Amino acid sequence: MAGKFKYGVSLYSFTDDFGSVMNVEDGFDHVADTGATGIEILGETHVTGYPRPTTQWVDKWFQLLEKHKLEPTNMCSWVDTKLRLSRNLTVEEGAAELERDLNLAHLLGFKFLRPKFGVVTSDLVPDPIWEPAVERVLDLAHKYGIVICPEIHSPTPIKHPVVDAYIEFIERTGTKNFGLLIDTGIFQDRPLPFWPQETPEMRKTALAFLDGIKVNPEEFLDIAKYVVFVQAKFHKINDNLEDENIPWPKVISALKRAGYDGYLSSEYEGRRDPWVAIDQVRRQHVIIRQLEKDFDEGRLA
Amino acid sequence: MVEHKFIQSSGFRNVGPEGAREGFEVRIRLPNYRGMRMSLFDGVDVTVDGETFPYEQNLIRLRDQTFNLAELREAADVRWELFEWGTVVVRKPGGLTPGIHRIAVCARVRSPYFPPEFQPSFVRDERLGTIVLP
Repeated sequence: MAGKFKYGVSLYSFTDDFGSVMNVEDGFDHVADTGATGIEILGETHVTGYPRPTTQWVDKWFQLLEKHKLEPTNMCSWVDTKLRLSRNLTVEEGAAELERDLNLAHLLGFKFLRPKFGVVTSDLVPDPIWEPAVERVLDLAHKYGIVICPEIHSPTPIKHPVVDAYIEFIERTGTKNFGLLIDTGIFQDRPLPFWPQETPEMRKTALAFLDGIKVNPEEFLDIAKYVVFVQAKFHKINDNLEDENIPWPKVISALKRAGYDGYLSSEYEGRRDPWVAIDQVRRQHVIIRQLEKDFDEGRLA
Repeated sequence: MVEHKFIQSSGFRNVGPEGAREGFEVRIRLPNYRGMRMSLFDGVDVTVDGETFPYEQNLIRLRDQTFNLAELREAADVRWELFEWGTVVVRKPGGLTPGIHRIAVCARVRSPYFPPEFQPSFVRDERLGTIVLP
């Protein structure tokens, strides 16, 4: 039998609650109460004093992990290649951004680091400095036992030059410290409701991907050996426990058949009214846990 | 803690000496879900009771530092964190009259990982706010 999933939650799920109706300590409680074993964070968002939190903050971080029986999974970071309007980052500066976040991720006990590189095209081709910048920090990542994993995120599908380039990099360097992170939003097959301030015109053009780019979950099997982490992106689970956008039975079936045994880390990205996210994450955990059970017991092929 | 809404209730006030007000300011929360370096921030348009004050002329204050647009675009060493509020300082001789005003803001944010057509992207909010002191 294939391995079992590990279940986590990203604090990103509670975006907009933070700062006004929730603090990071509350976030730990909501994550742990789903039965999750892993917590994912955004360094710049959830670490007070980022990138150099105080000793007291770090002590509290480990106390909270211990209290809630959680392990740090993935820390999200950014390489802001267009940090200034006047010029792009150099390779050295890009490598320094990665080094800064590897150091912090290591300090806090994370095993995965997701850098979000600046892009140069509408279909999210990263700034070409990504490759030499990553190559310069592979030794440091190796020393820390951290896997750097850019995310494959809508509107970028699996069959795309961006993914090909990441895989070529892994093959060329032979590194174990770089892999793919799959965001399940790429499998979205039904439209999202309009976001506040979004117009029908925007949805027809630049935001057309919000109707769903409908990647066939079977394509996961083609790249599974490079995938190290999965962000279980979702947008709305209704009162009948139906996800209105992500086809979970197909997604979970493909992940299981591919032998994926890493984290499914919930990433709620729906209505941002206060207090909505907590229960949405709980609903998602019911769905994905049930589907894994169905697969393991032969009810889902 | 900050208010859930982008534009905050407190912090909407006149600035400059009483009787010779130089303008007013509006307090906002971080217009993003991640703490960000100030250089990624590209100013804020403010509209009060239908009168628009464009981003090029407004100042941004974070903690004890104030930036004009040119300074903001190079301020790569200053970070605005999630739990902090910032202030938009608007020049308007005489300031605003005490009472209720309709405020709209449009923050301009550059997120390098967004496609080029979303540089900058806009974070907008609108609400009623109250000026207490003349």
